[in-house]
Amino acid sequence: MAESLSSVLPILPAKEYYLQGSIHDAAKDILLHRLRGLCDCTESEPESFHDHEMVYVIRGVGIGGVQQMPITVRASQSLEHPEEPWHLRYVGNPEASGTGVDRSKSAMVRTCIDVGTSDDLIIFLQELGFRLDFEYVTKGYMFRKGRMKVTVSKVFRVVQPGKTDSIEPMSLSCLVELSLTAPAGQDAVADDMKTFAEQLKPLVQLEKIDTRRLQSI
Amino acid sequence: MNAKMATSVDVSLEALAENQIQEISLDGHEIYVQPISMSESLTKLAQRIDFTKMEEEGKELKSVAANETEEGDDEAKSAFKQETWPWDSVHTKLRHSLTEASVLLDVLNIAKEKRYMLLDPIQQEPPESRMFTQVLGKKKALNNAAQILQHGSERLRKSDNLYHSSAPAFQMELLNVRRNWRLKKVANSILGDLSYKSAGSRFRQNGTFEVLENKEMEEGAGGHDTTPGSAGQQHAGRRSSLHVAIPSHLQGASYIYVSIQKDTDSLASANLTIPSHPTDPLAGETHWQKKLEAAQNVLFCKELFSQLAREAVQLKPPIPHMVIGNQITATLFPGIQLFIGLCHSNDQDRSTEPQQQQQQQQRQKSEHNHILEHSLHQLLREMHTANISLPMPHPSTAMLGASKRRRLAGPHAFSRASLLQLIEGKSLLEQIIEQAQHTVLRIRSTNVLDSIAMQCRDPQIVIHWNALSDATHAAMKLNITSQGYETICRTSLAIHIHTTSVRVIYRDGRIVKLSHEPHELTNVLLGVVSVHNISALQSLSKLMSWQILSTCMNLGVGEVEALGNASAVVMASPSGERVLAIKSGPISGVRVYVQGLPGNTSSDASTLETR
Repeated sequence: MAESLSSVLPILPAKEYYLQGSIHDAAKDILLHRLRGLCDCTESEPESFHDHEMVYVIRGVGIGGVQQMPITVRASQSLEHPEEPWHLRYVGNPEASGTGVDRSKSAMVRTCIDVGTSDDLIIFLQELGFRLDFEYVTKGYMFRKGRMKVTVSKVFRVVQPGKTDSIEPMSLSCLVELSLTAPAGQDAVADDMKTFAEQLKPLVQLEKIDTRRLQSI
Repeated sequence: MNAKMATSVDVSLEALAENQIQEISLDGHEIYVQPISMSESLTKLAQRIDFTKMEEEGKELKSVAANETEEGDDEAKSAFKQETWPWDSVHTKLRHSLTEASVLLDVLNIAKEKRYMLLDPIQQEPPESRMFTQVLGKKKALNNAAQILQHGSERLRKSDNLYHSSAPAFQMELLNVRRNWRLKKVANSILGDLSYKSAGSRFRQNGTFEVLENKEMEEGAGGHDTTPGSAGQQHAGRRSSLHVAIPSHLQGASYIYVSIQKDTDSLASANLTIPSHPTDPLAGETHWQKKLEAAQNVLFCKELFSQLAREAVQLKPPIPHMVIGNQITATLFPGIQLFIGLCHSNDQDRSTEPQQQQQQQQRQKSEHNHILEHSLHQLLREMHTANISLPMPHPSTAMLGASKRRRLAGPHAFSRASLLQLIEGKSLLEQIIEQAQHTVLRIRSTNVLDSIAMQCRDPQIVIHWNALSDATHAAMKLNITSQGYETICRTSLAIHIHTTSVRVIYRDGRIVKLSHEPHELTNVLLGVVSVHNISALQSLSKLMSWQILSTCMNLGVGEVEALGNASAVVMASPSGERVLAIKSGPISGVRVYVQGLPGNTSSDASTLETR
């Protein structure tokens, strides 16, 4: 019976629909309270998480020495639950239709490939030629509403590389992310996300963020 | 000034020495308004000058002059002018503002020096005050405020009265509804949701109801109750100011009918869409709480039945399940069937009286099984819970909606077999069939044991049912003792009853597996009883110092038993004068053969037979 939800979901979701926003630490508790009311499993305490995420990059050299686009993958591990498998994730760039350019879409869309791995993932990546780009630690709470996942997380900078216990917060705010993985073309789910984001409106503005513009600033 | 006049009579004109009286105090002292000084009068006059107006006028004059001068060389400049025309107004405005800004800057600079110019605030003339109008205005304003306050207090008193008096206000009722049910406002109507979607159900039928104000009932009687839990009970007969409109397919009462039947005759009558209990005479006036509960129950039963029916069609057992109308038939054991029906009584279904009687008869034949109905409800609720209580992923970026074992499947390289095991889950129907089979088997075994315990007097059979059991597994302990010698000889058995099989565990660890047929258990028990007789004799003979000559648990001689093997013991009396041969068979019972000493005169063995 426990498998029934996953049997509804397709085996390989190809697209991630997501919206992002941020909230100041002082108002975080109000947001958590609101999310507890809105999301499923209200009777239990919100699920906390404490993850370590490392971003690896490989710069391939193509035929004739032409520099290829670097490829990044994210290896993450739960620090709270070391028995859980590691997680390797590839996320593509936000699609043009999902960014602020196209107003018709309600959420940002990007390709993503998820795979659970054993704990020797890092060695494997290094053997393949990947190099560590940056790493960070996230702490926060996550919620579920149907197929949507809501995370309220604080991002920490790792002071000493590889040591996840010496960390310092990046900012005084929390990252709020609403995401959903679905096969390509299911744009209706984005509207559901938009409706949900509307319900959090005065507290946090979950919206499409054009990352290319952020990089140019 | 007056000191100068000497020769002639000068007429001097001077301003009245008296100033305007501002106030006369009580002692007659007059307070004058101080005359304005020279500079003050200057500033006052200066204030009256409209500088902007002057500017405008001057500009007009200037432009007129400019027009006149320009007219001469108009032709020469016209081409140039037309090109710049769209920006010309902007250009002039910008130039003017620049000029004004520069002037302002200059003025500020000069004022800062404080040598040439001083900036003084201009005292505004106090507005003329007319006492009478002021008093009138104040009176009116106060009157207005008093009116608002009175109006408000009136409304407060009214609502307070409403609260304390009998009539339950619509809002209060609505608040009570809101406490227990999901409501939302759509346009001008208030809609509620009865469905179990928030609890994990995936049933598509919608359970929307509408909350309406009961317009007819304005002046109600009877006490007002605010506790929602007991509201349903206490308000059942009374009229409430709130009225819920439930969709027609959810009206009425409904329940799931579960019964186990032995014969197949009743298969023909399979229509169960009949009122199950006398319908409420106050159907239109029942309290909303009861109405909603009933409607939600209808929805739940419908979901349960549709789930079962779907599974019944999907499953492929050796004897296929049948879904006819509102009834599912499943074969538990040969000749024994499980009926699951959805009974839904609706106000519209009044024309089904004959069927109702038919069903009454059917129900008398086999009682509705409340326990199985309850476990059906429980199973569906468990399914709901399982739907929504999937563990959250760790790390948080991982995919949502997979169980913990499935997450581990990839990294731990699960084999195909274990993966298949993962997705294997028993359906509701399979589970309820198992429970029903267990129920049947347990009742059968109990009957067998009871009848044997009643028949068999000599070795006493005592049955202890285990208090802890679950829906598909029960266990018991069976003690066989001989009367009067309970402590000397006792045979114990453990019997486990599963869904389709029974396991008998002997004291020495032997396990006998039996099928669902009841006579197998009978046979085993009869065998155990006959063996117990012999072992009881053995222990007694030691006590009585009889000498056992031989013993045989599976006797190969004598009459063949219809079932199992007979066992026997041969023993000699302490004096050695008599020899007893005792044979105990499961069917034939106990036979005792007595033999005197070979030297004795009467050497023919006499036989005593007991059972």
